Amino acid sequence: MEYLQFILIIILSPLINGVIRKLKAQMQGRPGPGLFQSYFDLIRLFKKDMRISNTTSWIFGAAPYILFTSTIVAAMIVPVITTVSPFSVMGDIIAIIYIFALGRFFMALAGLDAGTAFGGEGSSREMTVAILVEPMLMLSIFTAAISAGSTNIAMLASISGPIYTPSHILALSAFIIAIIAETGRIPVDNPDTHLELTMIHEGMVLEYSGKYLALMEWAHYMKQMLLFTLAVDIFFPAGIINNTEPAALAMSFGIYLLKMFSIAFFMAIIESSRAKMRFFQLPSLLEGGFVLAFLSLLTYIMTGR
Amino acid sequence: MPENERYIELEANRFRDHCIALYNSGRYYPRLMFAADLRQSNDCFRIYMVFSEKEKDIFHIPFFDLKENAPVYKSLTPDIPAVHWYEREIRDMFGLIPEGHPDLRRLVFHDSFPSDSYPLRKDWTISRTDLNEWGEGLIKKEAYKFMEVEGEGVHEIPVGPVHAGIIEPGHFRFSTVGETIFFLEPRLFYTHKGIEKHFEGMSFFDGVRLAERVSGTSSFSHSAAYCMAVERMADIEISEKAAAVRTMLLELERLYNHIGDIGNMCAGTGVAIGNTYGAVIKEDLLQFNKRLTGSRYLRGINIIGGVTSDVFLKADDILNTIDAVTVEYKKFMKMLLGTISHIERLENTGKLSKDIALRLGVTGVAARASGINDDIRKAHPHFLYDDLDFEPHTSGKCDVYARMMVRAEEVECSISIINALLENSYNGDLSSSVKTIPAGSSALGYTETPRGSVFYWVMSDSKGMPHRVKLRSPSFCNWPAVPFAVHGEIVPDFPLCNKSFNLSYSGSDM
Repeated sequence: MEYLQFILIIILSPLINGVIRKLKAQMQGRPGPGLFQSYFDLIRLFKKDMRISNTTSWIFGAAPYILFTSTIVAAMIVPVITTVSPFSVMGDIIAIIYIFALGRFFMALAGLDAGTAFGGEGSSREMTVAILVEPMLMLSIFTAAISAGSTNIAMLASISGPIYTPSHILALSAFIIAIIAETGRIPVDNPDTHLELTMIHEGMVLEYSGKYLALMEWAHYMKQMLLFTLAVDIFFPAGIINNTEPAALAMSFGIYLLKMFSIAFFMAIIESSRAKMRFFQLPSLLEGGFVLAFLSLLTYIMTGR
Repeated sequence: MPENERYIELEANRFRDHCIALYNSGRYYPRLMFAADLRQSNDCFRIYMVFSEKEKDIFHIPFFDLKENAPVYKSLTPDIPAVHWYEREIRDMFGLIPEGHPDLRRLVFHDSFPSDSYPLRKDWTISRTDLNEWGEGLIKKEAYKFMEVEGEGVHEIPVGPVHAGIIEPGHFRFSTVGETIFFLEPRLFYTHKGIEKHFEGMSFFDGVRLAERVSGTSSFSHSAAYCMAVERMADIEISEKAAAVRTMLLELERLYNHIGDIGNMCAGTGVAIGNTYGAVIKEDLLQFNKRLTGSRYLRGINIIGGVTSDVFLKADDILNTIDAVTVEYKKFMKMLLGTISHIERLENTGKLSKDIALRLGVTGVAARASGINDDIRKAHPHFLYDDLDFEPHTSGKCDVYARMMVRAEEVECSISIINALLENSYNGDLSSSVKTIPAGSSALGYTETPRGSVFYWVMSDSKGMPHRVKLRSPSFCNWPAVPFAVHGEIVPDFPLCNKSFNLSYSGSDM
């Protein structure tokens, strides 16, 4: 069972995206699509033929697979409902960040590959954002890692009980900003826009269609859920178990779902209450996040908690 | 001939000096420039320029004749930049060449249209082959050359004509340095429908239905201006009641457009709640339009000589709906102005300076947001606008925020006009019967659409049928201003700037 917990991420990630979409629609006063719409979208895309520009190279065809598999590898390392994670010897939190970077690198290359203006724009913007997000993500995790004495996520998640020290709260704030930027949500990017000129993530995948697009989108859903899972593993580990008894697993699964839905609700509120930021003002938000993360580390070193 | 139109016949070489003198005096706005093919009656083409006086309700219309064998005249564009598109349009449509025009590329027709074919000439024909090749668009007969920006780090981004959203076609070519827009060249007229030519093929009475389909969201303004032009030409006085109905419906049209536009700007900043809120109020108003007149876009009301339905019979419904909309609208604006992240995006974005707006002859909300106090309702009162107490709203801020706030103030102004109209009762028949249109006559019709002023100039032939119908929509004036407003902005802010103008492609691609 512990070998298979990453499958939960693969299967449930479109649902979490559907929940966010539904909640956002409700907040706008629309009924919105059903909770399972993201599954239907993926199925529809898998059934469709692909149109591939004849100016593309092998990168264009390889990127969806690299992105999809690398995200699954990251999912294997992350404890979802139990900290007994046989794959965790493969890597730790730093490995995850760089596995994400690998996917991002190929996605940006693929955006450039077709030679269209929007793909290039999306890639250039994505890399600008990435440069600012990565250090913030690292620093905020380091705070938690130092207190746990390890960068292994299973170890981080095993620390029982809430850990609400000032340094953790600062780190959590920075982590939330990083999640918003990484998942391409308002105020950094707008996942619902049809305005090509404003796109970041959507711009990079604009040339994709059919199965490749389905893989890209699915990988994006998984990455989003993985980041949410990391957030609960590191900052709200209460409820996760350290054994594999079926009853306990079921209980832990229930708690996990509840946490995911709460985060989805939180994201929907942020997205509905704010305007997208001007692109050149993004650095001030992301640098602000970096400062928060840095302060959290500083606070931990100075106060020891 | 209507009283406030002063036609001045000039020699070809005097025309230019006269126009420049009027323009430089600063007392006139250049409104439109157009040509007519009078080769059958006068053996010449005639080019008109319409100026409107700022302080008085008078149009000065100098014109001159041009022979077919020497179709060249001195361009006004170097001195009056506002006419640069008109001169290119006349070139495309009549083959009259403005000598000294800085940009003589084709404006209206695209590459596959035959080079020496001028559709608004009366003897225009097109061969079957040309027509097919034009439709297929594969053979380039006169290649359009985009302006090129050269230099290190300059990157070209072509956008459209097919866009990701469900909108009309338009091509935009950005030359950017990093994310900053250095130069933007729009290429429009993908949906050119030959409306002015169509008008010539139908009676003045049928033309009303065509006029109200020029631009969907300004249907009523267009048909009102068209009817007004024909009525002025035929010397028909519409009743007080018909004038009141037209005034009322013009304001209702402004109301739903402005509220919808304010909501639409939220799509540019990603505030989905504001976007849907605006759409809901707009939809309420459109359904109310349907209840009131049978048409969501107020079509089928205007006819030559008056209107077909008396909306004042439903005064209670109007009052109740407007009250309900006012309450919702106030909540909507309070929410928008309270969303600091939204307002912050609008402020100092997409500035169009007063100087450039004046020189390009910008009209409507865009002009007033750049500090130009110009509103046709006030400058040339028509229908019941003379009796109503209102002031055009202007703002000196020139940015997207100013364009939103001018709209917001005009919404309140429209609501108060509607309420004021409901307080009185109006006499007269809904429409007076009109059978014939005088031959060889002409007149202007105009009104203020939600986007700016619209002008119709109609001319009848010897049988009382349309000889020439010139239509100038506000979008035609304002499109050239968009590149100036986005100069120096960043690429992701273009949709927001564009939405703040909210120009119609269809209205420009006449």
